[in-house]
Formats: sequence, structure tokens, C-alpha cells
Amino acid sequence: MRWSDLLRMSISSLKRRRLRTFLTVLGVVIGTASIVVMISLGLGLQQSMYEEVEQNGGTTSLTVTGKQANDMYMYAAMAEGEEQSDKYITDEVIEELRGLEHVKSANPVLNVSAIALKGGYMAYINLYGMSAEELESRNFELKPGGRLPDPDSQELELVYGNMVIQDFMEESTGKGYWETGELPDIDLEHDSVFLILDQDGYFASQDTVSAGMSEAAGETGPETSGQKKAPKKYVVRASGVMEGDGINDYNANSWSVFCDIDILKSCLQKEFRGRAIPGQPTTQSGKPYKQFVYTSASVQADDMEHVEELTTTIRSLGYDVTSNIEYINSMKKQFAMVQAVLGGIGAVSLFVAAIGIANTMMMSIYERTKEIGVMKVIGCGLKNIRQMFLLEAGFIGFMGGIVGNLLSLLMSVVINALVSGQSMGIGGSLSYIPVWLVGASLVFAVLVGMAAGYFPALRAMKLSPLAAIRNE
Amino acid sequence: MKSVIQVNDLYKLYRVGDSYVRALDGVSFEIREGEFCAIVGTSGSGKSTLLNMLAGLEKPTKGEVIIDGHHIEGLKEDELVRFRRENVGFIFQSFHLIGTMDAVENVALPLTFRGVARRIRTEKAERMLDMVSLSRHKKHLPNQMSGGQQQRVGVARALVSDPRIIFADEPTGNLDSHTSEDVMNLMKRVVQEQGRTLVMVTHDDHLAEYADRVFHIIDGRIVKIEERTGAAPRRKEREHESI
Ligand SMILES: Nc1ncnc2c1ncn2[C@@H]1O[C@H](COP(=O)(O)OP(=O)(O)OP(=O)(O)O)[C@@H](O)[C@H]1O
Ligand SMILES: [Mg+2]
Repeated sequence: MRWSDLLRMSISSLKRRRLRTFLTVLGVVIGTASIVVMISLGLGLQQSMYEEVEQNGGTTSLTVTGKQANDMYMYAAMAEGEEQSDKYITDEVIEELRGLEHVKSANPVLNVSAIALKGGYMAYINLYGMSAEELESRNFELKPGGRLPDPDSQELELVYGNMVIQDFMEESTGKGYWETGELPDIDLEHDSVFLILDQDGYFASQDTVSAGMSEAAGETGPETSGQKKAPKKYVVRASGVMEGDGINDYNANSWSVFCDIDILKSCLQKEFRGRAIPGQPTTQSGKPYKQFVYTSASVQADDMEHVEELTTTIRSLGYDVTSNIEYINSMKKQFAMVQAVLGGIGAVSLFVAAIGIANTMMMSIYERTKEIGVMKVIGCGLKNIRQMFLLEAGFIGFMGGIVGNLLSLLMSVVINALVSGQSMGIGGSLSYIPVWLVGASLVFAVLVGMAAGYFPALRAMKLSPLAAIRNE
Repeated sequence: MKSVIQVNDLYKLYRVGDSYVRALDGVSFEIREGEFCAIVGTSGSGKSTLLNMLAGLEKPTKGEVIIDGHHIEGLKEDELVRFRRENVGFIFQSFHLIGTMDAVENVALPLTFRGVARRIRTEKAERMLDMVSLSRHKKHLPNQMSGGQQQRVGVARALVSDPRIIFADEPTGNLDSHTSEDVMNLMKRVVQEQGRTLVMVTHDDHLAEYADRVFHIIDGRIVKIEERTGAAPRRKEREHESI
């Protein structure tokens, strides 16, 4: 028998009992729609997690930090040899990381804290020096007119997180936004600020100034004499400020200040000539380490799948690695559970629909016993009879799947509209139906239909042809 | 003439509770190609059982059914279906047309099962309907036709796939005597024209007169084979060998 004929016969027998077909399909519609909507809620959650991760550096980025030998470790290391005890992120290490498999890029990150002065305000800021490439990859959203720092410039240029403004507090009173409830009157975008890298030096000079003021003749001990010189105040401008208001729009970079790493490095080196730069490791005698040491290295893997592998590789080299992958994995596990629960609820209704299909098919076969028998007597192959009923059941699943998907797309739109109307600020949508979900649920509905129709179809196949002629 | 159907020592026992019913009790005969045979007997004598066994609808308890040199008593069900599809046409007492299909589709059904293209089978079905003088009822559903018309559709359906053998179990059982004669004449004519073998079951001696040979069956045994050759109904009777 031809497929077109099988299909025609199946459809005509469905058409013959319109109401019953409609009701059976309705069951599948509800089942499919509840599965799809439930899973779409899980996917929506998952998607908003990914968006969050994306802001936190993305799914493929790893942060590699050095390992300082603590006392315990030192003790153990001493026995083995000094070499292994400390691991620092130096330019050589960056090169080494770049050479690893699955590494797309590796860039140093230098994190120092600094003091920013503006008018009567002062702020401790968290300054990150990064290469131009790295800054580029972070995809900052800057306010219009903003740009990333120019690596070729002679001056430091800063990119402020949108909440850095809260850090500024009145120098005289020490009160900040939390106390006053008012943001300081500073336009970070356009005003230049004084940046002080040598905090100790700054406080020392402040102290001596105040001491000198109050007691006129300060004791100038020999050890303080070297620090009397006030540290350099760099006049720096912003090249950009991140999008978002200073109070509410939090993202992972809101509290940070970014600048070019090479310029920051040379500033530091100039500032601390002959002395140890704070944060830089020193040898046991207190001398600076021979190479410049970065805070961390930011490594991009070529693919999310390789992040874990890369993590273990770098760990085996002796560095600490953090990435979002562990967070993602644990979240994924949770979402898998949420989805399984939600999908399971939907599956129950599809299961009920499957019982409906099986029931409809059984009824259909009882009604058509004679017809099936006659068809067998006049030469309809057993396989064809089975196919006919499977097609019929599959078709019920198919129609239910299509209508169910349309229904769930509609419901998804309504849910998202309701949610976005109620609570601002939640990024993304609550319900998300990707194309694969549509496809998969459709296939699933058809399969469920066929599975439900399988035993009835077998029964039809096994019906004795004689029964048709006998029970006249 | 060549024999198409050969039956050797056929038994069929039905088990009812603790006892057995001998529906067929050692039947042997031969049907030649192009013959019109009638199986006659009283109700419960085993006529339908015999016919069903010839068509492979039921398995014999013992004995052989050889059709065109092939044993069919041992075939599996799907092989039997294929055998019927290729070789056998069926005419039923209560017509058994498919209620949702019109006359043309009903007649074309055996061709559909053979995988014949729609255009070709419709053409052929229409020709068959013309032959049974139902040209004006092609688009009628079974419940829009009289019994006689329905049975003529049944005859057309049995013949459409050019089967070598046609089985008919009381084909006129549900028709009045006048219509019965119409249908009988039609069957006789078609069988003669197209040279097909027809095996018909009836309990009506009168209808059996249309046949070339008549098998009388009583309690599962063939007691008499009546040969009716030529125009003159010269009757040549003989007792069946087996008792
Ligand atoms: N499935 C069955 N189970 C038990 N006994 C059966 C079965 N089928 C037929 N019989 C018995 O076999 C015998 C022959 O039945 P069969 O149907 O062949 O009669 P028939 O000659 O066709 O009668 P009728 O003219 O009434 O149709 C009967 O006695 C019947 O009771
Ligand atoms: Mg009978």
C-alpha cells in the first residue's frame, strides 16, 4: 500500500468521528502546552542566569591567580626546594598560558587600590589595569560619548563603574552616601580627579602635615624622613562611565574602575622606584621581586566545553583558577531539577492524553472490527493495518502537538507581558521557547501518540479475518 | 483441464467444551480451472468452514489444500494475506462494503492494497462498475444503494484485481429471488467471459443449477458431486467414494 493511501485512510477515519477526534486532540493540546510552558519557564530562568554570568565575565573566562606559600606550605616546600613554593603571574606565565591548548587569549590583570580626590571628597577605589584587548572583551556598556582607555596615551584614563560615585565621601567628615543619602556633586564623566597610588605615602604626609600644624615642631624620626615627600597626585580624566544610575543598576563591574595596564604599571614603577610596590611580593630580605607580578591573569577558553579541562590543566601548573563554570554547573544541575519537576508536571497531563489516545484507538478498532476483517480478507497486509492505526494515532499527536505549541507560544507571550509589566529590572523573559523546544515537543507528541496507538494497532493487526464474516 | 484447487482428506474439528464438532470430516475433491462450482448443503453442514479453509481464512486440523501447486495450509498469516491479495476475490453474503467509501473507492480497494496508483485503479474500478451496470451509482455510498446494487459492487470488487479464483459465501443470501437471479447471471457471465474459477456456497438447490458442478455436503462430508455439462442438463450422478 502506498503511504499516501494509508494517510488518506487514516485521516478519513479520523474525520468520520470528528467530535471524538477533537476531544482526543484537545487532550494532547493541553498535555503538550503544559509541557512546553513548564519547560519554557525553566529555560527562561536558565537564560537569565546565563545573562548574569555573561556580565560576570562570561562562560568561557577563567581567572588565574598565583599561589602564595603559606607557612604550612612553606614548611613542606622548603624540604623540596624553594623553587616551587611561590607561583606568581608574570609576563612569562602569561606567555605560557597563551601557549596552552584551548586558550583563546590570556591577559594580565593588575588590581590595586588607590585614592581618588575631588573637591572636598575622597574615595578608595578599586583600580583594575587591563590590556586593551581584555577591556574590549568585557563588553562594558558605557554612557554615550564614553570610550575605553587609549593604550597609547601617556596619561592614565579611567573607566568608572556606575556605582563608584557612591565611594566618594566628604574628606572632612568622612561621611559618604550611606550617611548623607545624597550622591556627591561630582561629574565623573567630565571632571578630572587626583589619583594617588601611594596610599601609605599619602597618609604619612597627611599625618605629618597635621602633626606639623598642631605641634609646630614635629619629631622627625630617621625612619619617617624618607616618606616625608608627598606622593605624586596624578591628574586623571575619565574616558568613560558605565551605563546605569549610580544607586540601583548593579552589575558585576559597577564598583570598579578600569584603566590600561601598561600605563598603570609604569606609573607604579615610577612612583615606587627603589621601593617595593604594595601588593608586589618581596624576597625574604624585603627587596622587590625581580619580575613584575600581576594580580591575576584573565584567560578566555575557546569553548565553554573546554573550560573545565583547561581549569585542571592550569591547576596542575600550580596556579589557582576560578571560573564561572562551577557556578554554571551547579546552577545547571539545579535548573535540570527545576525543569524535570516542571516538565514532569506537564508530562503527567500528556500521559493522561496518551491514555485518551489509546482509548480512542481501542474504540475505533472495536467499531471497525468488521471492516478490518474484511480488509484482511480482501488482501490488506498486516503491516499496512498496523501502519494505518499508528498513523491515525500519530496524527492525533501531531495535530495536538501543533495546536499545543501555538497555544504555548501564546501563553508565553502573555506570561512575559504580565511579568514585565509588574516588576521592572528583571532582565530577560520569564518564559522562553526556543525553536528546538517547539520541534522536540512536536516530535514528542507524535511519538506519544504512536506509543499510545501501538497496542491498539497490534490488536487490530491480530484481529481474525473470520470474525468479520462470522458476526453478520 | 488443469486443476487449480486440490483438497486432500481435509478435517476440521472444533472443540466445544469437552466434545468435538466435526465440521469437516475427511473431504477430498478437485476443482478445475475456469469451473463454476457450487457447494450445497443444509445449515451447519460445514459449507462455510470448507470455503474458509480454501481461502486460507482458517487452518485445517488435518489434510491438505493445494492451490495452483502451493500448499496453503501451512502458510503464515501474512503469507496468506499476500496469497489472497494476489489470487483470490471474495464475495460476501452481507456485502461488507466499507461504509465511508463510495462505490468506486470500494471497488478499487483491492488495488489500493496492491499499491496501484490512484488514477489507474480508479479507471479500472469504473470499468468494473460499468460492467456490473452501475455506471450511474459510482459516487454512491453503500447506504445509498439497494442490496442488489451493493452486491453488484461486491462482485465488481471481487473481480477488479483479476483474481484466478473467486470465493462467494451465500452471495445472494440477503437478496430477494429476482435480484438473486440477476446477480447469479452476472457472476456466471463474468466467470465465463473472463475464464475465472468460481466457488460458491449456497443452501439453495435452485441457485446451484447455475453451476457446472455441484458438491453436496452433509455433516462435513461430500456425499455427492453433481456434474452439469453442456446446454442439456444431463445429470451424471455418482456416490462419493468415502462413506
Ligand atoms: N468456531 C467454531 N467453533 C465451534 N464450532 C464451530 C465453529 N465454526 C463452525 N462450527 C461448527 O461447525 C459446523 C459447520 O459450520 P459451518 O459454518 O461451516 O456451517 P454452514 O454449512 O456454513 O451453515 P450455514 O448454511 O448455516 O451457514 C457447525 O456445526 C458449527 O456449529
Ligand atoms: Mg455458512
